Amino acid sequence: MSIVQLFEVAIACDVVLCCRVAPLQKAGIVDLIKKRTSDMTLAIGDGANDVSMIQMADVGIGISGQEGRQAVMASDFAMGQFRFLVPLLLVHGHWNYQRMSYMILYNFYRNATFVFVLFWYVLYTGYTLSTAINEWSSVLYSVVYTSAPTVIVAILDKDLSRRTLLKYPQLYGAGQREESYNLRLFIFIMVDSVWQSVVVFFIPYLAYKNSAIDSASLGDLWTLSVVILVNIHLAMDVIRWTWITHAVIWGSIVATWICVIIIDSIPTLPGFWAIYEVMGTALFWALLLAVIVVGMIPHFAAKAIREHFMPNDIQIAREMEKSQDSRDANQPEVQMSTSTRA
Amino acid sequence: GDPGLPSSAMYPLEMEGNSNPKTTNKPKYSKFTQQELPACKPLLTPEIVIAAFALIGALFVPIGLASLHASRQVVELVHRYDASCVPVDDKVGFIQNSRTDKTCTVTMTVPKYMKSPIHVYYLIDGFYQNHRRYVRSRSDKQLRYKSAAHLTSDCVPEGDTADHAPIVPCGLVAWSLFNDTYTVRVNGVVTQVNKKDIAWKSDKNNKFGKNIYPSNFQKGRLIGGATLNESIPLSEQEDLIVWMRTAALPTFRKLYGRIEKDINANDNVTVVIQNNYNTYSFGGSKALVLSTASWIGGKNNFIGIAYLTIGGLCLSLAMGFLVLYMVKRRNFGDPSNLSWNR
Repeated sequence: MSIVQLFEVAIACDVVLCCRVAPLQKAGIVDLIKKRTSDMTLAIGDGANDVSMIQMADVGIGISGQEGRQAVMASDFAMGQFRFLVPLLLVHGHWNYQRMSYMILYNFYRNATFVFVLFWYVLYTGYTLSTAINEWSSVLYSVVYTSAPTVIVAILDKDLSRRTLLKYPQLYGAGQREESYNLRLFIFIMVDSVWQSVVVFFIPYLAYKNSAIDSASLGDLWTLSVVILVNIHLAMDVIRWTWITHAVIWGSIVATWICVIIIDSIPTLPGFWAIYEVMGTALFWALLLAVIVVGMIPHFAAKAIREHFMPNDIQIAREMEKSQDSRDANQPEVQMSTSTRA
Repeated sequence: GDPGLPSSAMYPLEMEGNSNPKTTNKPKYSKFTQQELPACKPLLTPEIVIAAFALIGALFVPIGLASLHASRQVVELVHRYDASCVPVDDKVGFIQNSRTDKTCTVTMTVPKYMKSPIHVYYLIDGFYQNHRRYVRSRSDKQLRYKSAAHLTSDCVPEGDTADHAPIVPCGLVAWSLFNDTYTVRVNGVVTQVNKKDIAWKSDKNNKFGKNIYPSNFQKGRLIGGATLNESIPLSEQEDLIVWMRTAALPTFRKLYGRIEKDINANDNVTVVIQNNYNTYSFGGSKALVLSTASWIGGKNNFIGIAYLTIGGLCLSLAMGFLVLYMVKRRNFGDPSNLSWNR
C-alpha cells in the first residue's frame, strides 16, 4: 500500500487506529496529513516515544506524569491529564481564536482610520503631506490614545462562557469555518475605516470651508474625533464588560483629551492654545457630535441587522446564556461552591 | 514538585492528588488571572436599536433647525476685488511695481440690518498656508524669547539677511504678511474699523514677546508682503499675529477688524482698498467680507442641513427597523435556531 493510498483511506475515516507504531512512524502519520491538507494538526502524548510526533504537529501537547517529562519539554502545551484536552480546545482554543481575530482586525481598522484622515487632507495641502495633527499627537495615538483598550479587550474579552462551550462542542466549528477572521470581514473593516475617515475629514471641511479655522484647531478636532470613534467602535464590539474594560476605554478618551490640552499649552509650539479657543465655539461640539454619530451609524446598523436577522451559532448561544442567567437569578436556591466556574 | 509546569491548561474544577500546600502546584487564585471578573454582557435587542435611532433623530432635528435658523440670521457681504481692482492685463507687473497707484473703491448695498459688532475679514483663495515647506518656515522660540533671536535655521530662506544678521520675525509665514488696507465709509461717513483685539488673547499675552521688536524685516530683495513698525513690540502687532495662525485650508478668511456701529438695511457701504497684496502670481483671489456673528459662527448652512439630514435619516432607520422586526420575528435565545438543530 503506498503512502497516497494510506492517506486516502485515512481521510475517508472518522477515526484511525494505528498500533505497534515506532516513534518516527508516529511523526510520519502526522506529516502525512500535514503535507497533503491545509488542516491544523494536533498531537498529544506522554512518553519519550511521542516526542517526534509532538514536534512534527502544528500543536504539540505533552502530558507530564507517569512516563517522565520528555514529552512536556518538547511540547507547546503541557497538561496533567489527557482529558484536559477537551477544555484546552473547546474553551481556551475558542477564546484564543476569537480574541486574536478581533484584535488583528481592530488593529488594522484603528490605524487605517487615522491614516486615511491624513490622506484626505493631502488633497487640500497642494499634495505636500502636511498634517494638521500635531506631531506629538501622531506619536501618542498608537501609544497612549488607543493601545490600552486594544490590549485589554484582546486579553479579557470572552464571547461565551466555559460552561456553554463545553455543553455545545459544535460551537468549536466556528473557528474551523473561519467565521471570525476571513477576507470578507477584512474588507468590511476596511470599508468601515474609509467611511469613518471620510466622515471625520469632510464633515468639518464642509463646515469650516471659507472660514477662519486654523490648522491646529482642525487637527485637534480630528484627533479627538478619531480617538472617540475608534474607542466607541471597540465599545460596540466588546462582549463582556468588566471594570477594567470600562476604565481603559473611557480612560483612553479622557487621557487623549488631557494630552491634547497639555500639548496645546506649550507656548513654543505653533498650535498654542488652539484647543481652548476651539472648545469655546459651539460649532466644534456640534461637529464632534455629528462626526461620531454619522461615523457609527453604518457599523451600528450592520451589527443590528447581522445579529438579529442572520445570527450565527455564537450569537444564539450568547442569547441562550443570557436567558439562562436571568433564569438562574430568579432561582431561590443557589449552589455555593469554592470551585470556580465561569 | 515540578517547577516549570505551565498552568494554562489546568482544569481548576477537580483537584486530584495531594492538596498539601507544600507540594501543590495550583497557582494562587484571583478573579483576574482566572478571568472571572464580574462582568455585564449587554446584548443588542430590537428595543435598544429602535430607541437609539429614535433618540438620535429626536436630538438632531431640533439642533439642526436651531443651527439653520442661526445661520440664516447672519448677514454676510462678500465682494471679490482682485480682478476688478487691477484694470490692466499685466496684473503681476502692475502689483509688483511700487509706483503704480493701487487705490481701489468698491461699493456694496447692505441687504438687511446688521447688528454690531460687524466683522471685517479678508478672504483669500488659492493660498496654501498649509503647505509643508511654508508651515515649517517660522521660529516660535524667536517670537517669544529675546535670547532666541538667532534661532533661524527653520526659516530658510527668510532666516538671515545677506550679512548673516537674524531677521525678526523670520520665516516665510511672517514674510508673506497680508498688506491690503480697507477704509470703510457708510453712507459717505467714515466708520472706524477697530483693529484692536483681533488676535487671540493667548497669542498676544503668551506667544509673542512684549520685549521683542521686529528687526531686518522685509529688507531683502524680494518683498513678500507688509513691513512692520520697528518700534511696536510683536505682542501688539495684531495683524502679524492673526496672519501667523496658519489657516487649515487653501480658502480662508482672517479677521481684519470690527465695525462697532450698526448698519441699516439699504445703507451704502463704500470701501477704499489699498490693493497691495500680490495674489496674482499664483492665481489666487482676494475678497472683502463683512459679516455679523451668531452662536454657530459665520454664515454656513451646512451644519444645520447636516443635522437635519442625519436626524431624518435616523428617524427613518428607526421606523425601518421597527417594520423589519415586526415582519421577521425571531425568538430570543431559541436553541432551535442553532445550525445543528435546524
